[in-house]
Amino acid sequence: MREAMNGPSPAKLPALLTRRAFARMLATATAAFAITSGKIALASAVPSIGSRAIVSFHMDQPYLDRTGTAVPYYRPAGARSAQSAGLLSEELFRRNFIYA
Amino acid sequence: MVDFSNMPTMKGFFAPTRFEADVYDCEVIGKVPAELSGAFVRLGGDWLYPPKFDDDSPFSMDGYINMFRFKNGVVDYKGRWVKTPRYKADLAAHKQLFGKYRNPFTDDPSVKGLDRSVQNTTPLAFAGKLFTLKEDGLPYEINCNTLETIGPYNFHGKYKSLTFTAHPKVDPVSGEMICYGYEAEGLETNDVFLYTINKKGEVTRELRFKVPYVSMVHDISITKNYVIIPIFGFVSSMERLKEGKVHWGWDDTKPAMVAIVPRDGEAKDIRWFKGPSRATVHTLNAREEGNRVIFEAPIYDSNPFPFFPPIDGSKWDATKARAYIRRQTFNMNSKDDGFTEEKLFEMNVSDLGRVDDRYLTMPYRYAFTAYADKQRPFDEWKAGNLGGRVNNCYGRFDLATGKMNSYFAGDTHSLQEVCFVPRKNGAEGEGYIMGMASNYAELRSELIIADAQRLEEGDVGRVILPFRATAQVHGRWFDESELPFA
Repeated sequence: MREAMNGPSPAKLPALLTRRAFARMLATATAAFAITSGKIALASAVPSIGSRAIVSFHMDQPYLDRTGTAVPYYRPAGARSAQSAGLLSEELFRRNFIYA
Repeated sequence: MVDFSNMPTMKGFFAPTRFEADVYDCEVIGKVPAELSGAFVRLGGDWLYPPKFDDDSPFSMDGYINMFRFKNGVVDYKGRWVKTPRYKADLAAHKQLFGKYRNPFTDDPSVKGLDRSVQNTTPLAFAGKLFTLKEDGLPYEINCNTLETIGPYNFHGKYKSLTFTAHPKVDPVSGEMICYGYEAEGLETNDVFLYTINKKGEVTRELRFKVPYVSMVHDISITKNYVIIPIFGFVSSMERLKEGKVHWGWDDTKPAMVAIVPRDGEAKDIRWFKGPSRATVHTLNAREEGNRVIFEAPIYDSNPFPFFPPIDGSKWDATKARAYIRRQTFNMNSKDDGFTEEKLFEMNVSDLGRVDDRYLTMPYRYAFTAYADKQRPFDEWKAGNLGGRVNNCYGRFDLATGKMNSYFAGDTHSLQEVCFVPRKNGAEGEGYIMGMASNYAELRSELIIADAQRLEEGDVGRVILPFRATAQVHGRWFDESELPFA
């Protein structure tokens, strides 16, 4: 439950994608693209540890990462303590929280 | 064994708390105005044990009184259960012995004849004493310093009704309290006993009369010469109780009726006016202009409470459970039983509205109440998916101009009933608004203090509790002079 609320523990996260690492991968990919022709894809030039796309941030901008190397974005860890009530129908909500 | 795990609505912020607490020198964000000296007292409920029936009303929650004591710019908090016979019986049995709201036929036989009142509605300071009020029983006297329960109170034996309203009114001119009990002679009786009690706490007048049908008589208003008593579509009967239902059901065919009772008259002098189906649960104020009685309140279109369902089996209608600030005018010279009604503001609001109580019975300008502003942000990532469904603003409604000023609590908060605290010797509306906010992101409660004339500027201070306070029905500010505070 805690993991679902706050994201996986740091031990389970992939290595942090730093700006330097990102630039290095981009350079590698560009070089590979430049010296080959045909169907070489950018993604093939960078290491991949999974196929699932994730939302991450680079320089405060969100982007969709398909490389499997970025740190996924998790929402801020507010208590979200109204969530259980938010799932109720209007009638059930008013039945229980008339003066909430 | 206490187990709330199968109660899907009692989760997260809304899970029972069930503890008593003292917090000395509370954390404050901003500042506490030094001129505030007294106490903000909240009364509401919490479940000591889970309800016996899933469809019971939240009005059956055990009473819990809590107080923010303001002195020299410091705030202390104290919270205590109201230790009624019902609370003590449940605690001794380690389970819920009492059944549905105001239906003793659904109780465990072991508690037959015991006072069922949970004392969870309104705190009252009068004649130097602190009371809890619940309309199905007598007031309970509470020690204003320890919040320990002293016991039921009947004004030296002179108050004869078996019940006492949650909304007595104190005349700011005479200092008299106008109060009443309905179902005054027992369950399902159509008697109302109306009392005047002087500022020493002595009963000076009693008037007994009957209502056209047994119904909820939750709140009243007073003018210099009259008491205004609305009744509306909630109905009850002994048959209904014996069938094991909650006390009230909603009958859409019942007209909303308003009694105008002369404060010094007899039962024969009462005038009953009739109008379309409405639900006037709480009032704002009333006054006289010539031969007219003018009454204002946040009035619902229809049944606001789904736990008191329609008696015809139809579905409760959420779209009609909306309250609007309305004005009803009664011509005391008229020959018929009709009255006029105006909607003063087009937006729906919380029906827990307040005015500057120094202006009760008199012309006044400002009403305060909470409302839900769906245009304001609600951070569902931090707070949970409740945006637009809870009150996030307090409004000051100017009845003279039709304008409204607004205080916004924040994008992870909801607001409970507002309270107006007048500045000593200040003009009408000059002072502070105060009320409890639920912070769904931080899982805690915060007491909001804002300048009533500068609501848009936000609060001047927030008193932080490091936990969730119990649910409130009503909260009141009591000045240092009103109670024998230590």
